[in-house]
Amino acid sequence: MSRPVNKSGLGRAWTRIGFAAFATLAALAVSAAEPQATEVLRRPHVMSWSELDKLPDFTTGIWEMSLGRGALTQRSSPSLTPTYAAMLKAYKAEDTPDANCLPPGMPVIMGQPYPMQILFGPREVTIDIEAYMQVRHIYTDGRPLPVDPDPTFNGTSIGHWEGQTLVVDTVGFEPDTPLSANWGMHHSGKMRIVEHFRLTDPDTLQVVTDVNDPVALTKPWTTTRVFERHRDWTIAEYICEQNNRNLVDQSGKAGIILTPPK
Amino acid sequence: MFKPVSTTGWLTSALAVTGLACGSVAWGHHSFAMFDMQKEQSLTGTIKQFQWTNPHTWVWIDVPAGNGAPAKEWGIEGMSPNFLGRRGWTVHTLNPGDRVTIVIHPVKNGRMGGSFVRVTLADGTVMNMMGSSTPPKRSHAAPASRAH
Repeated sequence: MSRPVNKSGLGRAWTRIGFAAFATLAALAVSAAEPQATEVLRRPHVMSWSELDKLPDFTTGIWEMSLGRGALTQRSSPSLTPTYAAMLKAYKAEDTPDANCLPPGMPVIMGQPYPMQILFGPREVTIDIEAYMQVRHIYTDGRPLPVDPDPTFNGTSIGHWEGQTLVVDTVGFEPDTPLSANWGMHHSGKMRIVEHFRLTDPDTLQVVTDVNDPVALTKPWTTTRVFERHRDWTIAEYICEQNNRNLVDQSGKAGIILTPPK
Repeated sequence: MFKPVSTTGWLTSALAVTGLACGSVAWGHHSFAMFDMQKEQSLTGTIKQFQWTNPHTWVWIDVPAGNGAPAKEWGIEGMSPNFLGRRGWTVHTLNPGDRVTIVIHPVKNGRMGGSFVRVTLADGTVMNMMGSSTPPKRSHAAPASRAH
């Protein structure tokens, strides 16, 4: 039995209720499908250029670690497990070669006396590191960390924004790279690094690095680095093999080539 | 733990400490183990060549051996031109024929080489790895060969 549609009295009330119900359902559907404005900067996703424009200014100029006082605001030694402490003890700087122009990988590549440039893109933050001309890709488009990553020097990174802080998570490391500037310290391939990048003032970038490694470390190791912005510097070329006179001989001893150039 | 002998001395000592503690700053691509970092040696001679290259600049200097013997050529390893170029150095800071006095941390085992500490130029300017440690008496201005 159909009821004729009419616009008077009860019919009008039902129409209003129906419309309100529809509007509410429609609003809920919309909010579930599209992120709210405040969520845009939190949940990783492919970002528009106007969204990128609202991020803190990591991209003007280039960054170099401050030398001297303030460069390392937190100094602590990693707490090595017995196996890795023994490896450190056995290491002799004279006898054990440093890599011959191989880049050191993460985390050491972030502590070189050379600048880095940070670029924002819709799917990633890119860090162009002058030392050894290394590039880190930090995917911010919502992809998960790989479950079985290929081991690489700099790892595989994803990132997301928490307010004004870029939080980066990196896994999948080649174990033959050093853990610190002391080449006797090693990490295992099970290392996981979390970094927090944020501006502490308009021209100062702080990077807090938490290194977790259940095989090499007895507890997480945190370091803090402070970078200064240089607006008029540009990233220069760095070809390590251009004139490399530091090498390792066949017995593994570090050497130096003092043959004069022609 | 360290005495500031020169800016480079401070830098090297500070980084030796931080290198052990934190692993945050790795100077260059190798350790300083091949140099005697506790010793300084002074060389006076004539610049043969200044290599403005990565990973290290290299100063090649003819040092008289005395008694009419031929001069010996020493090789002195310095910081990267990327680093120096941002701190007042250029490829023209040292030139073939310049008479200078260079202070180095010598290579162990008596070989003719060392790690650069500072240089005194003919006009009295003293340059170290952080730039000029005395006011320059003349400009080292030249076309920039490295991005600053």
